[in-house]
Amino acid sequence: MDTNTTLPNDSYKYGFHKPEHYVFKSKRGLDGGVVAQISGYKDEPEWMRKFRLKSLGIFQSKPLPSWGGNLHDIHFDDIYYYLRPTDRKVTSWDELPPDIKDTYDKIGIPEAEKKFLSGVSAQYESEVVYKSVQSMLTKKGVVFLDMDSGLREYPELVKQYFATVIPPLDNKFAALNSAAWSGGSFVYVPKGVKIDLPLQAYFRINAANMGQFERTLIIADEGSFVHYVEGCTAPIYSTDSLHSAVVEIIVKKGARVRYTTIQNWSTNVYNLVTKRARVEEEGIMEWVDGNLGSKLTMKYPSVYLVGRKARGEILSIAYAGPHQHQDAGGKAIHAASETTSQIISKSISRGGGRTSYRGLVQIQEGAKKAKSKVVCDALLLDESSRSDTYPTMQVDEQDAQLGHEATVSKIGDEQLFYLESRGIGKAKAESMIVNGFIEPIVKELPLEYAVEMNRLIQLQMEGSVG
Amino acid sequence: MERKKYLWEKMTAFPISCKIYYNCEMDGALIISDLRATVEDKLILNGVDMHVRAGEIHAVMGPNGSGKSTLAYALMGHPSYRISSQKSLIKIGKKNIVSLSSEERAKEGLFLAFQSPIAIPGVHVMNLLRVAYQEIHEQGSSLVTKSSGVHNPVFGKLSTNGEVDLLAFRKTVKEYAQMLRIDDAFLSRGIHDGFSGGEKKKMEMLQALVLAPKYAIFDEIDTGLDVDALRVVASGIDRLVKNGTGVIIITHYQRILKYLRPDRVHILVNGKIVKTGKASLAKEIESHGYKHYTT
Repeated sequence: MDTNTTLPNDSYKYGFHKPEHYVFKSKRGLDGGVVAQISGYKDEPEWMRKFRLKSLGIFQSKPLPSWGGNLHDIHFDDIYYYLRPTDRKVTSWDELPPDIKDTYDKIGIPEAEKKFLSGVSAQYESEVVYKSVQSMLTKKGVVFLDMDSGLREYPELVKQYFATVIPPLDNKFAALNSAAWSGGSFVYVPKGVKIDLPLQAYFRINAANMGQFERTLIIADEGSFVHYVEGCTAPIYSTDSLHSAVVEIIVKKGARVRYTTIQNWSTNVYNLVTKRARVEEEGIMEWVDGNLGSKLTMKYPSVYLVGRKARGEILSIAYAGPHQHQDAGGKAIHAASETTSQIISKSISRGGGRTSYRGLVQIQEGAKKAKSKVVCDALLLDESSRSDTYPTMQVDEQDAQLGHEATVSKIGDEQLFYLESRGIGKAKAESMIVNGFIEPIVKELPLEYAVEMNRLIQLQMEGSVG
Repeated sequence: MERKKYLWEKMTAFPISCKIYYNCEMDGALIISDLRATVEDKLILNGVDMHVRAGEIHAVMGPNGSGKSTLAYALMGHPSYRISSQKSLIKIGKKNIVSLSSEERAKEGLFLAFQSPIAIPGVHVMNLLRVAYQEIHEQGSSLVTKSSGVHNPVFGKLSTNGEVDLLAFRKTVKEYAQMLRIDDAFLSRGIHDGFSGGEKKKMEMLQALVLAPKYAIFDEIDTGLDVDALRVVASGIDRLVKNGTGVIIITHYQRILKYLRPDRVHILVNGKIVKTGKASLAKEIESHGYKHYTT
């Protein structure tokens, strides 16, 4: 076993070689040694180390999915599976690729945020905000930590719920994450506590924010409410080409969780994410998911409705530009009576981009009077773009009510002419039509995200970006 | 000025081309000259001549298939309607707009109220109006009041340094909406998305009022309207005309002309204006039909 705790040469120039500053970088590729090393470095409990190693075996034995996007260009042996955050990020503004900088300028985000988004700055200037948010949360008994700290400080709670919603056996990438995870959030909301302010991942300034294998676990106890917001609309430049996160959510009786993601990875990234919520009696889970960037995204937020009258909603937007494939959708598993679900998916393909809707609605035996509605609309902006729909429905109860609507449309010449006759130029008209198309979902986003989203779409339409 | 006015009265009394009596170019008139247009290589407009001046109402009537809607689309610059003659002119004042895109034509002050406007889901009426207003009147109120000659007291106040005051803008839009009996809720809906026929027509009317064009073409604004809605839309056109917009109303029927007094009525048959007359011509058509002109 190669205990490769080397000091990468290139970090010298950034001054990371201070003797007291422990620098850790695993070797390329993933094997038992690397996994044990990651666990050891983090000083994890024995059960987690075993869990990681078991997951590694599952990852190695499972074949790549034969459906979805093209995964054959991922070279698993060529990847660093664990790096300290400072090693991963570019360390100065100047190192960012010009197109990313350009986009930041055009979106008009403030300098401090730019640095944060690009990973240049480890410290976010909203430290004051962060502290006041943390003290408010602490008073209410809410736990909001990065996953590593969560495991250290709440080992029993983590052990009780970790990997109960998404076991490593679920799929190859869930297994990979289980073996190599690092970063992500741990949230616990006590009984009856409702948090009005959305929890945003960037409040956790002390931790790795954009790991390759983030692991998030949210537990909403009975009657509680939390809105968790992850990501941002500005493109995130990552030097890592593979990102594979796992998000597990437990919605207890009468609780409600909304999880909003806007992701705009740079177009070298494979973004393969498993997100699932288990919803108990009368609980509500809402996924709001926006995917703009990456080379290939495969992501199907799921709701497992296990309690009577549990409800799940999945709203997703996917945008695929040149050389991008967004394979997204949702899954609703009805395992109890009177459960309801709704999946609304909107996708936009432009410049040869490809979007796919892939969805599953399953009404299991015993799930009486279940209701589900699926709406998937695709908008194609030109002849070279592509959109596909792969809906699956499995129904084992007679009295289920199911609805499925799917449309594929092109930006119509008549719509363009109408707006042009009102003095609006073609590029602006197209962006208005696209923004109009995704409006039902964008209006569910926190305001600042909605504004950025609209602006970003406009930039894309005007061909100024990417 | 006095002479102009005198000549103008003379002109309205006698429907003769204004070239002879008066230089329309100087007055910023909409001049359509020998307009020939094809749709899918088929000649539809076969040399249309019209001169519309600020604050005038011209009615274009004609049987089905005479080229009325083609006239509307060709004027607005729809890409499917090709101008087929080098001699064809569409001018606003001295500026020939025949080779401009529809976007540029709109910026020159042309507006088309569509017969069956298309829905654009999620593009809210208020947002559309704001963007369009800004695009058309980019340089602010000076453009609206001076160069277009369209008097719009409300919008005169809107802009100080080129930026449209959003609150004032919304207020104005709401006032016009109220006048047209459009419920406020429609202003935050996607344009024409799920609107009834009547609501669509009113919404086209609202846009004309807000955008304050120099010349507005109404393509069968009266079809599918009940009596109340018809009256409301007619009052909107009346207001537009009073603000100084020149108006072309394309219609099958005399119905809307009961509420508006056209300065000219043109009969369009087989892509040509075969007769131009006063308001009484519309009544004549109502009682005798187009038989006289088609055979």
